[in-house]
Amino acid sequence: MTTLSVVGQNAPRRDFPEKLVGQAKYSADLKLPGMLYGHVLRSPHPHANIVSIDTSEAERVEGVLAIITPYNVPRRAVAPIALDTSVLDTRVRFVGDEVAVVAAVDDDAARRAGSLIKVEYEVLPFYTDPDSALAPDAIDIHPGGNLAINPPLSIGRGDTEAGFAEADLVMEETYNIACHSATPMEPRAAMASWEGDKVTVWKSTRGVHVDQVALAQALEIPVENVNIVGPFLGGGFGNKDESRLACLAALLSRQAGNPVRIEFTREDEFVAGRTRHAGRIHLKVGVKRNGTITAIHGTSTLNTGAYAASGPGVARRAGQGIIYLYHCPNVRYESYLAYTNCPSAGSYRALGAPQGHFALETLMDRVAEELGIDPLDFRQKNRVPPEGQPGPRLSPPDQVVDSQPIEGGIPFSSNGLEECLTRGAEAFGWDRPLEQPADPSKRRGKGMSMMIYRGGPGSTSAATVSVAKTGEISLLSGLMDVGEGATTVLPQMAAEILGVNAEDIINVFGDSATTPEAPITAGSTATFSTGSALVRAAAEVRRQLLDLASDGLEAPVMELEIGDGRVFVTDDPSRSMALSDVAATMDGEAITEEVTIPVPGSADYIVNAFGAHFCEVEVDTDTGRVRVVRYVAAQDSGRIMNPRMALNQVEGAISQMLGFALSEELVTDGPTGVTLNASYLEHKSPTIMDFPDLQVIFADIVDPVGPMGAKGLGEVPCPGVAPAIANAVYDALGLRLTELPITPDRVIRAMEGS
Amino acid sequence: MNPFQYAEPKTLAEAVTLLDQPDAHAIAGGSDLLDEVKEGIISPVQVISLASVPGLIGIDESESGLNIGAMTTIADVAAHPVIRTAYTALAEAAGGLATPQVRNVGTLGGNLNQRPRCWYYRHPLIPCLKKGGDRCYALIGNTKYLCVTGGDRCYIVHPSDTAVALSVFDATVDISGSGGSRTIPIGQFFAAPGVDVTRETVLEPGEIVTGVSLPRPADLGANGEPPRSLYLKAREREAGDFALVSVAVRLAVSGGVVQQAAAALGGVAPVPHRATQVEEYLAGRSVDSVDAAYAGTLSIPDARPMTDNGYKVVMANNLVKQGIARLVGR
Repeated sequence: MTTLSVVGQNAPRRDFPEKLVGQAKYSADLKLPGMLYGHVLRSPHPHANIVSIDTSEAERVEGVLAIITPYNVPRRAVAPIALDTSVLDTRVRFVGDEVAVVAAVDDDAARRAGSLIKVEYEVLPFYTDPDSALAPDAIDIHPGGNLAINPPLSIGRGDTEAGFAEADLVMEETYNIACHSATPMEPRAAMASWEGDKVTVWKSTRGVHVDQVALAQALEIPVENVNIVGPFLGGGFGNKDESRLACLAALLSRQAGNPVRIEFTREDEFVAGRTRHAGRIHLKVGVKRNGTITAIHGTSTLNTGAYAASGPGVARRAGQGIIYLYHCPNVRYESYLAYTNCPSAGSYRALGAPQGHFALETLMDRVAEELGIDPLDFRQKNRVPPEGQPGPRLSPPDQVVDSQPIEGGIPFSSNGLEECLTRGAEAFGWDRPLEQPADPSKRRGKGMSMMIYRGGPGSTSAATVSVAKTGEISLLSGLMDVGEGATTVLPQMAAEILGVNAEDIINVFGDSATTPEAPITAGSTATFSTGSALVRAAAEVRRQLLDLASDGLEAPVMELEIGDGRVFVTDDPSRSMALSDVAATMDGEAITEEVTIPVPGSADYIVNAFGAHFCEVEVDTDTGRVRVVRYVAAQDSGRIMNPRMALNQVEGAISQMLGFALSEELVTDGPTGVTLNASYLEHKSPTIMDFPDLQVIFADIVDPVGPMGAKGLGEVPCPGVAPAIANAVYDALGLRLTELPITPDRVIRAMEGS
Repeated sequence: MNPFQYAEPKTLAEAVTLLDQPDAHAIAGGSDLLDEVKEGIISPVQVISLASVPGLIGIDESESGLNIGAMTTIADVAAHPVIRTAYTALAEAAGGLATPQVRNVGTLGGNLNQRPRCWYYRHPLIPCLKKGGDRCYALIGNTKYLCVTGGDRCYIVHPSDTAVALSVFDATVDISGSGGSRTIPIGQFFAAPGVDVTRETVLEPGEIVTGVSLPRPADLGANGEPPRSLYLKAREREAGDFALVSVAVRLAVSGGVVQQAAAALGGVAPVPHRATQVEEYLAGRSVDSVDAAYAGTLSIPDARPMTDNGYKVVMANNLVKQGIARLVGR
């Protein structure tokens, strides 16, 4: 595929018109005849056993039709993501944990009834930080103790002890990272409706097929009796991958005999949604005088809150930069994932990678400085090269390589780190000294970072491409478009192969009854993994269309081409047929190809995405406030399918991580366990006024493994933001901030302490 | 939300009569009142709108100064040409508070009467002292946003930006209630927790603010050198944020000498904090001999910071320094 006509173009977002005029329906906009309103009663205690629940008074409220408590639900886990989370439980584990739900004819009646449910609690000791939860005298939050992964994760290669012994210089530091919320605009909602023994649930979701399995297990009904529909999603960012709310809606609906919808309030979304894991990372690096890295050892202690959710994945991903971003024979990473009585942490864009990279990329800056090497040169010297890490390959040669490998001896399918560093530095003007403002209270500094992330291989993915006798082309995928744009980009890829315009493809997405199996839209995998299935399905459909056209045009397939909605003879384009005329000659009603890729990726190469970030900050030394003035992000995500939407992805990632770096912190009160700032006002996400001047560069790379050369992008820019900013703050003030977010009080404290 | 009755009286007399009932609450812009209802802090039985009461909206200029009706929006205060030139600190305070949406509905009266932002006060599950509970939960919890001076069993900071700015203009507050009307200096309008922990002003139940009066600066127009003022606000993001610390400074300079000085701080005390030692240091001093950095250190001489809020003292000193330096042209 040399020249592309659809892929690489700025196809307009499919959902733009509906979203712009306000016609797009989100889960909370849906309403069925006779629908009831659900209300969740939440725990006021951070940790308690429910001794009894008396609903008699609540049942007498006019308009109340169903009440669900832990005593009248199946005591099943909401698997497969939330293995430790029951539909409802007689143990509550954080302030805001679900205790009971009510369905009534209106919201007021449901709330009133909720306030009349009498719950007797046996209050238990509670813990808001991992250290106290992991102390020997702490009581168990879950059966099996307060380590959510036990034994703790420990991975590595080589011999770090020998590596440190070899080093001329060993540097170490401890980093602390606060919890923050993804703050999706849409608070999650779910509506359930039964027909006989079959239930349909419309919900805020990242994966209808995963929800389908979870509900079937939790409700103890066959999978085929559950259908999940994903309406428009108002921001996922990794959140909304669980099913507890949907189970509660389904149970209420079954008991009441009417459809039921439950919607989170804004406060619920902050408290009972999912946050990024707060944590502490200790990192130690050994280097030779010449700048060669001999050993890296990282240990993370992460606060997963009341439930593990995707905590194990977070713990793992926090270590990937530590073990793979720098060329080094001896590395080790350990992680302690602790249950506490804070709100649950879970999936949030790039999972643990921003935490891990913050530690790694600020400590490497210090190491470079100590050695007297420019931070850029140090990274160019030590970045993991295209041929990969040293050491032997351990996995069998025919096994698809994990996108988070540990072992050495495996090359990357493509590795644009060098290009990102070089082009990013050039665009930023890394060599030029910064101009300091005339106002002496303002100081400017520059900083940089680099990053590594999974490049797109995900779970089992499928796609169906179909051409009807009428010429209508459709693309069926079980994926949810969580706002990132799969419903625009995937049809672009199909259109490229079938020689039509992207808008000629009819999309069927996000409905578990009519679409092939799909994973959750997670891990920056949709374009790569579903795209890989789609490309094969479309190619097969194209082959069959060409066979048909070969008869019609009386020319061998080898001499045919496809484009602009027609099949034509390469040497004589005047001999052509419209695709719809070709389709009309088929025997059946449609040519349909479904392709499933059990394990996307490659057995020969690691598929990873990369980036390098550069920024300039201005610190107000009177107020401690850090403002990012200028930002350059260079990304290697393979061939870019839709440049405008790719740019939006990078802008979005940087704006979210700006909050992580500088202002956002969801605070759980130590003495009471309540969340103190569950609001847009007090959980301080940056505004457009805080956004820097941003330049985005995409490396000129076509990945040989990825479909049409693509690699993952959605999360990839996230890990680099906080360390680039922290390194720039150091350049401005000469102070290393080791705690996130870098708020004015922390900056002032650091200045006072120096 | 509990049901409530809504009334829109057509006269001030009718409004204050309606407000003289238990659980009656006045609503102006509503941006704070609705939050308080949702947070379970208040459950109004009667909500009395001031929208149709005549005479509460508008900015009137007279020989004696300016009168700003309590229902005048923050956006209108920020945009008013006389306020921008002669009472710059007030225009800057109004123009930088919250967001454009809030400034368009929020009123000056409402801004002075808004309730504190203390996380513990605002949390539905925390029975804090201000809500009739038995103790302050913040003191043993997160103290980052609490006051560094003037706390007394309760350690809130007053959230109003305009209150701080009004403090340096010798403003007076016009109050009406069923018992009649009164006018008091802005410095006496706010009440420290030691006076009454459940409220932040001296308004009696049923009383409302009807307007604010700003005296005409003595030297305005006299020698063509109006007193200059400014408002500086430290915060954690550029918009939609309350002050960590804010400062209003006003200097009347003539003949190279500071004739009059006023400085007030927000974010540091339960009421707008008048930096009297700074004012004393500046008054009568020749501009050339003003040491702004030294003056800054006089901002909160009795500060008693807690675990997490010591930064406020540094910030206050720096902002006062910066404010003075800018006004004297350095």
